[in-house]
This record gives sequence, structure tokens and C-alpha cells, in this order.
Amino acid sequence: MEIAKAEAILKKALGFSRRAYEFEASIGGGSHSLTRFANSVIHQNVSETRYQLSARNLFGKKTGRAVTNKFSDDDIASAVGTSETVARAQPDIPELLPLPGPQSYSPVDAFDAETAAFSPDARADAVKKAVGLCRKNGFQAAGYFSTSSGSIGGYGEISPLAMVNSNGLFASHCGTEASFSITAMADDSSGWAQATSWRVSDIDAPALASIAIEKAKRSSKPKAIEPGKYTVILEPAAVAELLMYMSWLGFGALQVQEGRSFMSGKIGQRLFGQNVSIYDDVYDDLLRGRPFDCEGTPVQRVVIAENGVIQGPIYDRMTAAKENRQSTGHGLPVPNTQGPQPASIVMKAEKPVPLAKLVSSVERCILVTRFWYVNVVDPMKVVLTGMTRDGTFLVEKGKITTGIRNFRFNQNVIELLNNIEAMSVPVRSGPCVVPGLLVTGFNFSSGTEF
Amino acid sequence: MKDLALLAVDVAKASGASYGDIRIIETKVENISTKNGKVGSYETIEDIGFGVRVIASGSWGFASSDDLSRDAIEATSRQAVRTALASSKLKDKEIMLSPEGAHVAKWSTPYDIDPFKVPLDKKLSFLLQVDEALRRVKGLTISECSLGFAREKQIYASTEGSFIEQELLHSGGGIVAFAVGQGDVQRRSFPSSEGHYASGGYEIVEKLGLLDNCERVGEEAVALLSADECPSGKRDIILDGAQLCLQIHESIGHPSELDRVLGTEANYAGTSYLSLDRHKKLQLGSEYVTIVADSTLPGGLATVGYDDEGVGAQKWELVSKGLFVGYLTSREFADVCGDKRSRGCMRADGWNRIPLVRMTNIGLAPGTWNLESLIADTRDGILMFTNKSWSIDQMRYNFQFSTEIAWEIKNGKRGRMLKNPNYQGISTEFWSSCDAVCGQSEWFPWGIINCGKGQPGQIARMTHGAAPARFRNVNVGVTR
Repeated sequence: MEIAKAEAILKKALGFSRRAYEFEASIGGGSHSLTRFANSVIHQNVSETRYQLSARNLFGKKTGRAVTNKFSDDDIASAVGTSETVARAQPDIPELLPLPGPQSYSPVDAFDAETAAFSPDARADAVKKAVGLCRKNGFQAAGYFSTSSGSIGGYGEISPLAMVNSNGLFASHCGTEASFSITAMADDSSGWAQATSWRVSDIDAPALASIAIEKAKRSSKPKAIEPGKYTVILEPAAVAELLMYMSWLGFGALQVQEGRSFMSGKIGQRLFGQNVSIYDDVYDDLLRGRPFDCEGTPVQRVVIAENGVIQGPIYDRMTAAKENRQSTGHGLPVPNTQGPQPASIVMKAEKPVPLAKLVSSVERCILVTRFWYVNVVDPMKVVLTGMTRDGTFLVEKGKITTGIRNFRFNQNVIELLNNIEAMSVPVRSGPCVVPGLLVTGFNFSSGTEF
Repeated sequence: MKDLALLAVDVAKASGASYGDIRIIETKVENISTKNGKVGSYETIEDIGFGVRVIASGSWGFASSDDLSRDAIEATSRQAVRTALASSKLKDKEIMLSPEGAHVAKWSTPYDIDPFKVPLDKKLSFLLQVDEALRRVKGLTISECSLGFAREKQIYASTEGSFIEQELLHSGGGIVAFAVGQGDVQRRSFPSSEGHYASGGYEIVEKLGLLDNCERVGEEAVALLSADECPSGKRDIILDGAQLCLQIHESIGHPSELDRVLGTEANYAGTSYLSLDRHKKLQLGSEYVTIVADSTLPGGLATVGYDDEGVGAQKWELVSKGLFVGYLTSREFADVCGDKRSRGCMRADGWNRIPLVRMTNIGLAPGTWNLESLIADTRDGILMFTNKSWSIDQMRYNFQFSTEIAWEIKNGKRGRMLKNPNYQGISTEFWSSCDAVCGQSEWFPWGIINCGKGQPGQIARMTHGAAPARFRNVNVGVTR
């Protein structure tokens, strides 16, 4: 759906709304295609195109929302009517704010026509090359190659592409994304690599396959070593996983206001090492996110921590109003119980070096490719648990000497951010841009069978 | 709709598909929540679309659309075939499906009260009443209450002549209490950490007992702030059904999915310790551990008449007195484990996703104990309730779970309350340490509403029945 068509539908919805109410509508969706392979063959190959209209009425301190994917005039009018009926049935929400007026946004160039038009044949050709390399080296391959345009998330969740309201606000943004992930597998080892970009031409499937193959080769015949506290090198995918959990647990203003964020009562204090600076930044060149949130607020680049000192959380309109300040543009659809949500985590690297140099600089450590099934042990202390996966190595005298069996970790992330000795050049990993980290005292609590 | 469904399979066949099916899915969802005495969120979603799945040139293809015009049905069917032909560039064999008769049938979830006909103001006033009861507890910081309802109307048609209409209905809700203080946050929930959901209507909400449990739940959350930490070391543990539900899900349910055993999830969800060479040979648990899969379970969230590739609902054992005997299968994979027919485990998360092998309702068969006698029989143990956190490796060996609350057991008596309880183990060792399971009167079908799998991701729902059970000599207090 072109933005112009979305705008026309939104204006139609606006036309069906009553003048006595404030009204907001958004359209989200797009096209998403994914070619999946395992055991070195393509076993799933899917595509979807879909859109959703979300209509919201606001009447004093009452509000109601209705969502539909049907776009006939009758269906649009019905959704608008349902949102009004729902609003009338609601008790007042005292903190509810009137809708904002027109806003100005910094445009983000995130649409690549080649990515939007990328075909199943083109994906299959790239997969075939990557799988061929794995086969040539004696490994089975599993992974996926996806391309999309619009705003469909990894689990099919939909966020706005365009929105309007009765106060004259209009916002739109359409980006593209390509992602390739590959696991090279043998009987006793595996290696993994992944890349994501707004532009499919940035995806080098054979190069990613080569990384996965190299990791799988080096992790064969893994040795079992005792769990305990180790110096580790965490590759960017592992760092991104930990920082995403930390951001979900504590970067939002609602969690801070409710006293259940690690930064509650600690804004302005140094919680991390001096070499740690973390931002939420949709404008980062590698991320190129949507420049407005689900309330239509322009997204700001937010400094979460600078040189180890906590600067503050992200805000939506309701949490910002509570502190008499401006939203940072991280709002979800109103009303919600979660509060503002982080979108794009960026960690700056102090004196970055290539990842290989991190390895060559260490006397003895464990190198972690990525983590798996991370979950929360203590939300306020940001203690997380999870497993290593697809390439865990022992580094001795600056060289990878052997693959090792996987570990479970139980680690306080705040402590980890105080124990960083060196960083590699930041790269994109999922919705994050982060460096690899050399960290002391990482807590591996138990081992597993492989 | 029937003509559109038949058009899709006809076009697929005419375009070169050796097999094709279409699912037209119409859903209606209503989710309501309150927080701290106010409406927290409300959403009502109506959604319709279709997905066409084909085998062409021996490979799978799938395409979907929300446009139900004849033109879109034809174009999407042809797109599915084109995608299958692209898939066939990289194949090692022709996809073959286990035989399944052509079914023409209708099936609906039994229910008493249509939740979508219960007025919104009645549901809201009930939730606000519950929220108020929770907030009466002194020292409580945050109250959250929720209700949710989902109806899915499905039409399935295949090139093999099946035409199946189903209407599935799920309802449920729950409460969560948070206490914040002393640099700590503690939570208690009811009936379980995600509430309780089942197949059926509004009568499920009326039987939840939310109001009756507010005071206890709130007081326990507050008391946890000043409770002692769970000790570290080896202990006997007794798990309630709500925690066992997730233990079954993660360490037996997922590993039994035959697609992941065969490597199709290797890049994401992982593989499995229940490899084909261990089928009917591995003693994964003690004689007290029998695990039953049951797509016919009354009230189960995975209870259906037919799965998403037209196979009828079934009941069978995955684990029989500790011996691993059965898999969760599909038509593509059934013969790999020696079955002649699929167990009917293929389910998709809506019209825009392909069916995957998903857990159906999987339960731990009840034993002969009761909780009080089990506590009395335990000399040095920990009694744990309600899941809080979960993690397991990609082959499903090493797990770690936290629960919301625990009590120490000393010499057969329940003692002090413990906070941040957790335990860690290896699946086969853990299930082998089970020496007692409580009986039918304490067995409850616990619902799971957020099981993720696949790329692109899919969410599925299922039910895990369990009664409290005891496990000997388990690592507890493992996070320090």
C-alpha cells in the first residue's frame, strides 16, 4: 500500500468520526517474505501482505480503540463506530491527554526499492550459494533469508506506517529490511552468523556462511571445562541480547516512576564504567527507524548513560506530563500498561579495535558468539540467565585454541558494564548497534551436555 | 466462502501443484486490562485473510493475503506455486505426505456464554472490582487485572477433497500484584503468572475465583519483600501444577516436536535431545512420569476437531512410565518415526503463517499422592509455586526456572516463606528424580498463551495438565 493510499483511507476514517470527539487513526503493515532452510534444503518459503487500520476515539477522559484489516467504506465506518462505542463504555482515565496537533519530523531515508521487490528466486539463489559453501566444507546448513517493506515485526506484530488525527497531525514512514541468518552444523559443533540491514545489497550471504563455517570448524570436539567466573569476549550479538533485556527492564520512564527500574532514584549517578555510553537512537545510520511513535510524537535521540552516568529514561506523553516535560517519542498505542518502549539501542565504543584484536590481546578467556533463551532473574539488579550457543571457544595466548561445551550464565548486567576492558567496532545486531566487549568476571554457573 | 476456498485449491492444482490447501481465517479478539484501579488497556481486533500452501515440484510454497476477492485468491494461489518452484532449487527429495482421508466436517468449541455478547461495561466493572480488592492490601504497589477473549472461524479445503469448518473460542483472565521496596520488586499472580485461559466462553471467567484470591495474592507479594532468600544447595523440591506446566512444556513438550528433532528449527528454536535413535529406548524419567498428548482434552487451548492440515484430533502417550515413546508429528514427518498417520499437531498462528508442528495439550498423568501428605513425607525440601522465569538450552537439556514464591519444608512441615526461589537441572536427570505425583483431585489443566516458534515467529496456545509433584536432590538457589 502506497503512503498516498494509506493517507486516503485515514482521511476517510477521519471523515467518519464525530466532530464532538477527538479522533486518531493509523495504518500499519506491508509485505514480508521469508525463505527458510534446514538440513541444507529450503523447507519453508512464505510471504504475506497485510495492513491494519487502528481507529481511536477520545471523548474527554475516555478513549476507545478498534482495529480491523477490512477497508471497505462500511468496514472503516464500523471500526470508527466501534471505537466510539468502546470509548463511551469506559470509565475516565484521569491522566488521559488530549491529542497533539501537527508535528514536524526529521525524515529518515530507509526505503530501498531493490529490497522491496526482492523475489523468492533471488532469495533462493543467495541461499543456494551459502548452503553450497557449507556442504563443500562438510556441514549442514540452517537459516533464513527475509526481505520486507513496511512495518510487520518478527512475530507479525504491526506498528504504524502512517497516522492522522483530528487536530491536523499527519505522519508517515515506510522502510525496508533484509535479514540473513545461517547456522553451519556438524555432529558435535555449530557456528552462526547473521546480518540485518535496511538494504538487501548489504547482505553478503556467502560471507556470512564462511563465518558460520569457520566457527563450526573451530568448535568441533568441544572440551568440557568447569563453570565459574571467567574473562570473556562477548561478540556483538551476545552484547545486544543483554542490552535489549536491560532496556526492556529499565529504560522506560514508567518503570522508573514505579520504582522498579535499575535507574529508579539513581539518575545522575555513575552506575556503569566510565567507558560506557548508551543511547536510544532511531536515527543511527545502521538502524534508520521510524521517526515518530504510536502517539505521533517525533522520536528524539535519548542519552540513557554517558560515560557511565545515568542520564535518564525514555518517555511517552503520559509519563512526560507527570514530570512536566516533553515526550521523547517512545509511546505505544494509548492507553497501555507498559509505558514507553525502547526502539533502537546504540552503545558507543571507546577506542574501538577490530574483534580479532580483542582476541589477540587476551592471555586467557572464553569467546561467546551468541546467547540463547535469555530471561530475567532479578529485574531491579538486572540479573539475567541464559545459555551460550553456536560457537563458544577457549582463547589462550591470543588465539582460539579449542571449542568448549556450552555454559549457562547468571550475570548482573550492571556489574558487567563496570568490568569492560576493551571494545570492538560497533555493528548492527537486530535492533541494536553495539560493540563486542572484553569483560572480566563473567559468571558461568553450570554446563550442559554439548 | 466455500466457493473461494475451492477456487484456491483448483487454481493451485491447475498451476502445477501436486498438493494444495487453503485456510480462510476470521478472528475476533478482545483484551481488557486494568492497572491501579484504572483502565490500563483495551483492544478489539477483527481480522480476516487466507493462506494457500502448496507442494509443487516436490517443494513447499506458501502465500497469503487479506484480500478475499476472486482475483486475489487466484493470484495468491499462483504466487504460492511460484514460491514452491523457487524452493525446489534447493531440495534433496520430494515432499510426501502421509495418507489422510478426505474429511468434510464441522467442529466448534463447546461453551455456555458467548464472551462477545457480555456487555463491555459488565466486564470492565468486574475487573475494576477485582482491582480494588487487590489494592486494599496494605503495602501493595501495583495491581494489574486482565481478561481476554478470542474467536477464530476457520475454513480448510484441500486438493484431496477435505472441507472442514471450525469455530474455536478461548476465554480467560488473571491478576498480578507487585510490591516494590527496599531496592526490590516482588510479584504474585493468580491463577498463574499469565492468568488462566481455556477453550470455552465467559463461564471460564466466572469460575476463576479472582475476587476470592485478591487478599492472599496481594499479601504474599508484600510479604515476599521481607522474606528470606531461597538457600543454595541440593534440596528435594515440590512443584505446584502451575510451575510443572512450564517444566513439562520446555523439557518434554518442545523436545517431542518431530520437526525440531529433524533439524528444521536448528537456526532458531534449536534441536532436541529426543533424537530418533532414542525413540522407545530412552528412559527419560522415573516410573511415576507418564506424559499424555491430547488434542481432545475438554477445555484445552489446543483442543480442536482437526489440525491445520485436516487431520483429526487424537490422544496418545509421549512418555510411558518414564520411557520416551511418542512424538508430536505432521503428515510430512509421521513416517520418519514409524507412524502411518500424522498425530495432527500442525497449527498456524493465523492465516498469514504456515502450519508448524506445535504442542497440543500435554499433561503429566496424575499419581496417587496429595500435597499435604507429600509435604509430611519430605524431611528437607522447598515447596515452589507459580512460574516467574524460564530458560533452557537449544537441545533442551540444561534448564533453569524461577518461581514467584516458595516455602521451606523441614521435617514434614511447611516453614518460612522464601523469595527468589529457583532451580536448575538437566532434563533427563530431573525427570528421573521424580518420586511422587499428586492425584486427580489436585490435577488442573494450566493454559499457556505465548508459546513462540518459527521464522517468521508464530505464537501458539496449549494446555498442560499437572498436579503437584516431588523431585529429589535438585540444585536450588543457583543464581548467585
